[in-house]
Order: sequence, then structure tokens, then C-alpha cells
Amino acid sequence: MGYTFAEKVLARQAGLETAVAGQIVTVRPDKLLTHDNTSDIAKKFRSIGVTRVADPAMHVIVLDHVTPAANETYAASHKATREFVAEQGITAFYDVGEGICHQVLPEKGHAWPGAVIVGSDSHTPTHGAFGAFAAGIGRTEAAAVMATGEIWLRVPESLRVVVRGQFPERVSAKDLILYLIGQLRADGADYCSVEFAGEAIEALSIAGRMTLCNMAAEMGAKNAVVAPDATTRAWLAGRVTRDYAEIHPDPDAIYARVIEVDAGTLAPQVARPHRVDNVAPVTDVAGTKIDQALIGTCTNGRLEDLEAAADILRGKHIAPGVRLLVLPASREVLLAAIERGIIRDLVKAGATLLNPGCGPCLGAHEGCMAPGEATLSTANRNFKGRMGSKDAAIYLASPATVAASALAGVIADPRAK
Amino acid sequence: MKPTQITGRIWLLTDATGVLYDDIDTDMIFHNRYLHITEIAQMGQYTLDNLAGWEDFAQRAQPGDIVVAGGNFGAGSSRQQAVDCFHALGITAIVAASFGAIYKRNAINSGMPLVTFPALPEVAAQFQTGDTLQVDFETGALLLNGAQPFAAQPFSQVQMDIYQAGDLFAYGRKLEN
Repeated sequence: MGYTFAEKVLARQAGLETAVAGQIVTVRPDKLLTHDNTSDIAKKFRSIGVTRVADPAMHVIVLDHVTPAANETYAASHKATREFVAEQGITAFYDVGEGICHQVLPEKGHAWPGAVIVGSDSHTPTHGAFGAFAAGIGRTEAAAVMATGEIWLRVPESLRVVVRGQFPERVSAKDLILYLIGQLRADGADYCSVEFAGEAIEALSIAGRMTLCNMAAEMGAKNAVVAPDATTRAWLAGRVTRDYAEIHPDPDAIYARVIEVDAGTLAPQVARPHRVDNVAPVTDVAGTKIDQALIGTCTNGRLEDLEAAADILRGKHIAPGVRLLVLPASREVLLAAIERGIIRDLVKAGATLLNPGCGPCLGAHEGCMAPGEATLSTANRNFKGRMGSKDAAIYLASPATVAASALAGVIADPRAK
Repeated sequence: MKPTQITGRIWLLTDATGVLYDDIDTDMIFHNRYLHITEIAQMGQYTLDNLAGWEDFAQRAQPGDIVVAGGNFGAGSSRQQAVDCFHALGITAIVAASFGAIYKRNAINSGMPLVTFPALPEVAAQFQTGDTLQVDFETGALLLNGAQPFAAQPFSQVQMDIYQAGDLFAYGRKLEN
């Protein structure tokens, strides 16, 4: 009998011969990721009377949500995190300016094939792009992992998404995942491990794979994964120095559901307010007026995303009345984009460059919306009121669609010449 | 031992047309503008204030009440405030057709009883806000207004163990002793 990725990785981590979907196992995660919520988690951790973390080397801490601090409350929280890091001897700490936790963690070598990563952020499944098992957890649980170094996990059922064919020009991983969420709905993969496979997935860069795994969270997935291959190994070379043993699902593994998609038939997709699964082809919403366009976030703030936008905006200028915000996902991405002239092209085209971090995605600073306004964003969530006013609209799309729309002042099809 | 059977007044989270909301996300339950709040006692007042028609839920809810919701309740972010705000109001259980994955773990780990009731959408018309519901965590048996029985899912073993211990921390201490 064959086993899925989730069954195999969790069995190995738990020291068991085998594990099957539905089973509860206790594992020692390889990494625990926390962000601006570290100070609150540390407070919970201290409240149970423990003074030292179980394993300082397990921790990866990145300040990214509201950075630099927008006010005194956030500043005090960041300060408390820095003090905690120093007190506990945690070395993998990345302060203001390094970038978004889901970008910085792999860049700094903390994700590898077969690793088990838990994080106090719902987009932790992003790290499945490297063949890791990565799942989001809450604060109580993160505090418990800090104290004990262990966590209980229910082995998830698995859903396999096989993507054949080739992506058409200016159609990307973002369009694929929006399409899938539209089909499967916001609870279509509840508690499931989602395995992405097929020739279109194998052809994707690491950036595209991260976009897919990142947004699997929006259909309820516990984790998502792309099997490691030469692309993965090449990206990780020089970043991950430890040995690792890859885990691949068995060919005869048992899946709750198998979904097949032909990438060649996909059009650019847009998620309309106020639900991520309210998805339509861009042609259905083309012409909708926008006030703000956002390129960045843990979903689409990587070099190839900025490049896709620059290819459309180079030598042109965004429409009057539109604010284009660009946030590279990390310092590494920002530097590469500067060196390649991408930042120059975007800024010349009218973009406002913001520091690497989560920025306005969660509505705390750097681009909140007024009532009646609309933003077209490359982010992963368009919940009502997420970016400021409850009476504002958030549309989600790919970097190419956002760039083409910023030029037009209305939602526009990036394929149109 | 904590009670494995509770009875309380229900709040049926429906939209303006009386249909149960599905996919109530963590921003509707506890909006991101309040995320700087870390004291549980202060969280209750903002519960559901971003869900259309339920902005004043915190003023109307009483300790001992039970929340009844549609599918994928608690979708979205990992914020634990979206569970803790119900603790703050003294809500004793949340019954829903299904729950968001991280939300479910957060609730279990904090000792908030969640009961999954997959058949709820088919029978929701029989439920009304203000009705009395008896919930048995051990068997999953529901009893509406002392008369109408329904079958929801019982607690899993780990859920019952953590609930009985109080929360994940207390459960961990128990395992060590």
C-alpha cells in the first residue's frame, strides 16, 4: 500500500514505521516560525512558568507585519521580541527590513525537502514549495512548541492537483491557484494536504511554486507541497548546508480527491470582493475602476513578479488617479531588483516603493483604503475591511494583471497588446 | 472533571435573509484593526463586529450562550484572538457545519468546545436564535428545545483530553506528571 507525502513525512518525523490519514502523531518540528506575534507568544510562554525555550535552534523569528513600527504599541512589541531573542540565545532572528517571514525563512536556509515546519501564520504552507511539510498554528500552540519542542498533528487527508500543459503568455501560477480556489471554494481543501504535480508544475520556478502553496491556505489546506526536483535543489544550493532526505509520495498513494487541470486553457483570473473564492476570468471584470494597485506580499513579491510587472510598465506611466505600491518580499529581492534596473523602471512608471515587509496587506499601515475605494492587489486575501475601510473593495490578481490595470486605471487583461 | 454535556441559548449566525453564513473568516470574527490587543478580557467587545448584522453581538451575548454557524467557520488567518474573544464573552461552545483548520486547532488547544455538525445546513430551518440547545461532547448528541434530537460529531480523544485538562498547557503538564 502506498502513502501520500503527508503520511510519509509525518511518520518519519514521529519515528513511526507508517502513519495514515486521520492518525494523531506527536512530532518535533524542525523549525518554528513566528513574526511580530513573537512578543505575545513569549508572554504566553512565560505565563506557564517556563523560562528557557526547548531548543533555540528551532526558532526562526522575522519582524515583518508592521515594520518599521507604525506606532508606539507596535514599537514596544518589536522591542519585546528583540529582548526575548537576546535572552533566549536565538540566532535566526531577522529584524525590520529583512522582508516577509515566508520569503526570508527559505532564503536563509531554514526550509528543505522533508523538513517539518510550523509557524504562527496562516500562510506557513508556502514552504511546501521546497518539499517541506509546513502548516500554520495558533499562538497557544506556538508557545507550547517553544516550551516543549513538540506538537501533536492530525495526519491530513491528501488532495492531488495534476496540472498538465503549458501556461499561456502572461498567465501565471497566481492565475492557476485563483482558478483552483474558485472551483474548489474556500473550504474545498479543509484540513487537507494538497500535492501539486504535473508537467506545468514541474516547469514552474520556485517563486511560482511558492505562490501556489501560499494560497492553498485560502481553500482551507493544512499544507501544500510540490515534490522536490532539480529546480528545488538548485535554489537551495548554497542556502541549506545540512544533509536532507527528500520525501516523495508513493505512486499508489491514496487520495481523497484528484483534480486535473490543463494550464493551456487558463485565462488571467481575478478574485472579486469580499471572498477569495469569488473568482472570474479577468475579461468578466475588465473596466472596473481602481484607486490603488499593489504588487508584493508573501504571495507575489518575488523577483519574477516584479519583473513581470516591469515588463508591462517599462517606458510607460500609470494612469492618473491610481496609486501603485510596490513591496519587494525581502531585502534580497529588493537588491536583485535594483541591480537589474527593475526598481528604476517601476519607479519611473509611477510606482511608490515601500520597504520589504507585509505592508498594507493586513490593513495596519502603508496604504490603507478609504470608504468607496478599490484596490487591485497581488495579495492572497480580500476579506471585507482587510485593507482599511469596510466599505472598500479588494480585488486579487497576478502581478501582470495588476501592472496592466495600473496603466489603464481600470482592471485590464494583461494579454491585450 | 469538566461537564461533557452543556445546555445554553443559541445564536444562529445568519445573514439578512435568515440563511446561515458560510466561511465566516477571522477578520469578520475579530478584525485585524484590534490585533494589538493581547488581554483576553478586552477582546470580547469586538467579537463579530465585522460581520454584517452582528456588529452588536458582544452586547447581546450572555455567558453560557452557544454559537451556531455554517460551514468553514473561522477560515483565514491563524489569529487566536478569533477564539479568545468568545472565551471573553463566556460562550460555552461553537457548533458549526465545519471549521477552518487552524481555527479548529486554536479552539481545541485553548479549551473552547467546538462541535462539528456536518448535517446542519439541511436542518438549519429548525433552529432559531434564542432556542435552547443541549450538546453532548462525548457522543455528539444535540437536543433542541428539549425535544428535537440531532447527531453531530463527538469530540476526538485528544480534543476531550485537552478540554478536560483545561488547555494545551495544562494538558502538557498532565502528560509530564
